Amino acid sequence: MMMMNGEATEAELFLNCADMSVLERQRAHLNHHHYPGFFSNSSTINGGDIDGFLASAGLDLPAVYGYTTVHGDARISVTPGNITTESGNFKKRKFGCVETETKVCNEKKKMMMMMMNREAAVEEEEEEEKSKVTEQSNKSIMMMKMKNKAKKEQNSCSNDSSKVTKDSQRTDYIHVRARRGQATDSHSIAERARREKISERMKFLQDLVPGCDKITGKAGMLDEIINYVQSLQRQVEFLSMKLATVSPRLDFNIDDIFAKEVVSAPMTNLPNTVMPPHMMVNSGYPHEMVDSGYVHFNPMQQVVASSDPLSCFNNLYSSLGV
Amino acid sequence: MQPTSSMNKEFLKKWQMGLQIFRPSIDNTSVSERKRAIKLSADVAMASLRKGTTCWSRALIQKTASEDNFLVRQMLSGIKEETLINKKLPKVMCHRKIVRRSKKILMRRKSRSAMEEVAAKAKKLVKRKTQGLRNAVPGGEFMSNNVLLIQETLDYIVSLQTQVNVMRSIVDAAAAGIER
Repeated sequence: MMMMNGEATEAELFLNCADMSVLERQRAHLNHHHYPGFFSNSSTINGGDIDGFLASAGLDLPAVYGYTTVHGDARISVTPGNITTESGNFKKRKFGCVETETKVCNEKKKMMMMMMNREAAVEEEEEEEKSKVTEQSNKSIMMMKMKNKAKKEQNSCSNDSSKVTKDSQRTDYIHVRARRGQATDSHSIAERARREKISERMKFLQDLVPGCDKITGKAGMLDEIINYVQSLQRQVEFLSMKLATVSPRLDFNIDDIFAKEVVSAPMTNLPNTVMPPHMMVNSGYPHEMVDSGYVHFNPMQQVVASSDPLSCFNNLYSSLGV
Repeated sequence: MQPTSSMNKEFLKKWQMGLQIFRPSIDNTSVSERKRAIKLSADVAMASLRKGTTCWSRALIQKTASEDNFLVRQMLSGIKEETLINKKLPKVMCHRKIVRRSKKILMRRKSRSAMEEVAAKAKKLVKRKTQGLRNAVPGGEFMSNNVLLIQETLDYIVSLQTQVNVMRSIVDAAAAGIER
């Protein structure tokens, strides 16, 4: 993750929270909450290696842990099976803490990881979680090490059938316990972990892509996802064309920008979606309507605008002769 | 996860900054040139929100750099170096006919049961779809495993949603302004 010093980003805001304490808390929580015999090995290794890491990692880690803190703080009290609610974008969390942290260690998909943590454990049994959490807690060590060397690839994370040693410089191994009644060789364990990861992510995609809840199976979902992505790309094309025709000098005056702030609620458009009522609430209408002089966006107007997204394209199509 | 208002604002800011680059030379342009300017600056704005952390954003920046290098350089203005713009992962080239033929021979050798055949067909279908997804997402060909592909797709979809929302509200505002 490349965070520039001068830029105020979300992660830097989070940096002000106590970073190390999150990890310590999580580790302590894990130690006496879960199965001590099983976890003590990994948790001490966690302790040893991670402390060594934080000293050496410099800028990288704090930012990573920074991301955990806002959500991680609230999650410390979560045990698997408990449901807690949290402010912000996220819905239920039923997840163990360590997985939060480890997922976040992935430098690329921080926010996506949050989403995944939220939903990933919903159907899991405890045994699954056992093996998974060790895998990923130990994976986090591997991942943090990799981060300092190779910043891009995360293929190494998928190789989780190795064992952890205490020496942080040699190759790391991960203790993995196979689930009951399933093959135990390293390849299948690795494959199974990969498959589970993929299905986790697909669940998030189901939430994101409208109309995907009824579809089961990878092929159908992938189909929907591809269609959605392509439709979004087409919309961008047509919107830019429309904008080009509407404003010959590319001058959108600042009042438009104020209006944009008014219309801050997401309007992901599909012809069959109706604006859910709560979205109108969080747009902060009243005071900003006074500011933006002649451009008023009131809730009704917004609903109208968003419920009719494709008609403007129809006009555009006909005018372009498409 | 839905696009947040802060993402919308950042995108708008960067997009306006990109459009500023075109303003001086805007007078005699055609609709298609303006559209191209709008779209390219919007794409770079969307990709630069991720600050080089995702594969698709880098690939998108590279793509627009190949179309309008000047714009990209101005918009990124040293935050990302040229190296980031020019870095590429090697694509795996495979000669499809040969691969297909050898696969057919392998399949002939294996003795299959009914269930295996169904499973094999399902796998083929999924593979085809993932290939389609790779074509849809910018930089998809460089994502070596499916997990990464799906993650990038997630992020890409969210960014596209912000882009579409902002652009649509601007269009509506501009259209409303004109009607008056």
